[in-house]
Amino acid sequence: SVQAHKEGKPQKLLEMNGQTLMPHSYDYDLIVIGGGSGGLAAAKEAAKYEKKVMVLDFVTPTPLGNSWGLGGTCVNVGCIPKKLMHQAALLGQALQDSRKFGWQFTEEVKHNWMTMTESVQNYIGSLNWGYRVVLREKKVTYENAYGEFVGPHTVKATNKRGVEKLYTAERFLIATGERPRYLGIPGDKEYCVSSDDLFSLPYCPGKTLVVGASYVALECAGFLAGLGLDVTVMVRSILLRGFDQDIANKIGEYMEEHGINFIREFVPIKVEQIEAGTPGRLKVTATSTKGDQIIEGEYNTVLLAIGRDACTRNIGLDKVGVKINEKTGKIPVNDEEQTNVPYIYAVGDILQDKLELTPVAIQAGRLLVQRLYAGATTKCDYVNVPTTVFTPLEYGACGYAEETAVEKFGEENIEVYHTHFWPLEWTVPSRDNNKCYAKIICNIQDNERVIGFHVLGPNAGEVTQGFAAAIKCGMTKEQLDSTIGIHPVCAEV
Amino acid sequence: MGWEEKQVRGYPEFVQTAQRYHGRPIFALFCGDKDAEGKSWCPDCVTAEPVVRKELHNMPDESVFIYCLVGDRAYWKDPNNEFRKNLKLTGVPTLLKYGTPQKLVEEECFKAELVRMLFTED
Repeated sequence: SVQAHKEGKPQKLLEMNGQTLMPHSYDYDLIVIGGGSGGLAAAKEAAKYEKKVMVLDFVTPTPLGNSWGLGGTCVNVGCIPKKLMHQAALLGQALQDSRKFGWQFTEEVKHNWMTMTESVQNYIGSLNWGYRVVLREKKVTYENAYGEFVGPHTVKATNKRGVEKLYTAERFLIATGERPRYLGIPGDKEYCVSSDDLFSLPYCPGKTLVVGASYVALECAGFLAGLGLDVTVMVRSILLRGFDQDIANKIGEYMEEHGINFIREFVPIKVEQIEAGTPGRLKVTATSTKGDQIIEGEYNTVLLAIGRDACTRNIGLDKVGVKINEKTGKIPVNDEEQTNVPYIYAVGDILQDKLELTPVAIQAGRLLVQRLYAGATTKCDYVNVPTTVFTPLEYGACGYAEETAVEKFGEENIEVYHTHFWPLEWTVPSRDNNKCYAKIICNIQDNERVIGFHVLGPNAGEVTQGFAAAIKCGMTKEQLDSTIGIHPVCAEV
Repeated sequence: MGWEEKQVRGYPEFVQTAQRYHGRPIFALFCGDKDAEGKSWCPDCVTAEPVVRKELHNMPDESVFIYCLVGDRAYWKDPNNEFRKNLKLTGVPTLLKYGTPQKLVEEECFKAELVRMLFTED
C-alpha cells in the first residue's frame, strides 16, 4: 500500500545507499565530477528532487591546445559533430545521385571545410549554452574546474586560473569519461590530431592518414573521404573489435571500394614534420606487425583513433580508496553503479565492462539518482542496448554478434537468417546492388527468440531503434515473420 | 573604459551599429516598439527591460549594449521579417551576445541570474 511504502522508504534508503546515520553538514547533497552525458543527466535529475547539487566540469586541453565547453564528449567531440559531418558527406553523395534523378547543375560541386566546421561548432556552442541555462534554472551549481578527491567526502576544484576551492558532499558521482589514447611514438603529440581536435580543426585536413580500426577511426575516415579528401586507414589487426566481424569486414570492403585506402597489419613508429602549415606535411614511418618491412608515407594530417583511456588516474581516487582496474583505468561498480566506497558512484564510459554509449550513461545516471532520492528500485538494463556505427555504409546492431552467439549458445542452437538488399533509392543512380545486408540471430532453444539484429545500409540507426524495442519485448522469429512489412523501405526485409 | 549603450530601431540600423563596434563584446536586447507614452506593445519586453538594465554593470569592460526596437507588432508577426530571417530571432524580448550562440529568449530574460550569466560568461 502507499502508506506502507512511504513509511518503509527512508528505512530502505538508509540500508541500501550507505547513508551515514549521523548527518554531517556537507556543502552539497551530491557533487558530480564530469559534465558530460552521464553527469549532467544525473545532476538535472537530482535537482528535480530538490537536492543541492554541484557539477564540476573541466576539459584538460589537447596536446595541440584545443578545448571546449560544457556537455562532455558526445556533444563537443563525439556523437554530435560526428553525425553532422557524416551527414555532410552523405549530402555530397546525394548531390551526385541527384543528377540521375533529373537535377541539372553544371558546376563541379566542391566542399568547404570551414563553412561546415563553423556551422557545426556554432550548433555545439548553442548546446553548451543551453546546458548552462538549464543548470542555472534548476539551481545546480556549475563550476568550470578540475575536480579531484583530497579526502573523505571532500574534493578540490581547480579552475583554469589555478584557483583552488574545497567542497564537501554527502555523495559523489564520478562521470569523468575518457580521452583519446596516443601511440607513444616520436612526433605523436606534436604533430598528430585526435577526434578531440578534428571537429574544430581550423583548416581542411587534406590528405589524411587515420590510424586505428575502431568505429571512431572508420567513421572519421568515412566522412573525410565522403567530403572529397584522400584518406588512408592504417590498421594493426582487425576492424571494429567487439562488433560482428562478418559485418565489420563488409564495412571495410565497402569503404575500400569507395576510394579509401587501407594499409593492413602495420603500425606507425614515428611521425616527422616535413613542412609546417595549415595543413602542413607530415612523414609517417610504419612497421609491419608480421615482419621487418618498413614503409613511409606523406600526409597533410595524421588522425590517431586507436582507443580511449578513462580519466580516472588523476582525480585522487586513491585518497578515498576507490578501486580501479589498474590496467584499464576503468572503475568496477555493482549493478547499482556504486563503487567499493559506498558514498561514491560512477556512470558512463569509465565503467568496467559496460557499453560506452551516451544513452547508456544518461539512463544509468537518471535511474541511479531516482534510486538515491526518490525511492525507486529500477536498475539500468545493460542488455540488448542498440547501437549504430555511422560509417559510409551505416551499421545498426542490437544484441549478440554472430560469433558471440555461437560461442555462448553453440552453433547448433542458433539459426541465422540473412539477406542482401538493394535500397530502392539506390536503383536509379546505379549504386551497389549487393552491399546492403541484414541478418538476425535466433536462439532455437528458446522459441527462436531473436537475440541478435544486424543491418548494414542507409539510415541503419533509424531502422534499428524499433527492432531494439521488439527484442526487449522478447520477439521471436515467428512474431517477426508475422509482422507485415512497410513498402518500399529497407526495413521491410 | 566601462560600457556604452546605443539605441537603434529596425534591422539595417542594428546591423550598421553592430558592424561599427566589431571587435568589442556586443550585447543586444531586442524589444517591440514603444508608443508615445514609452510603453511597448510587447508585455514581456516591458517586464524584461528593467531586469536587464539592472545587470548591465556586469558586462565586461569595453562592451557595447545595443538596445534595439524591432518594429510594430504587425512587422514582428511577419515570419519573413529580417530579424527572424537573418538573426534567427524567435521571440521578443531576446537578449543575446552578438556573434555567439548565447542568448536568452522571452521569460528567460526575466531571470536576473540568467542575464548575469550571459553578461559574465567566458
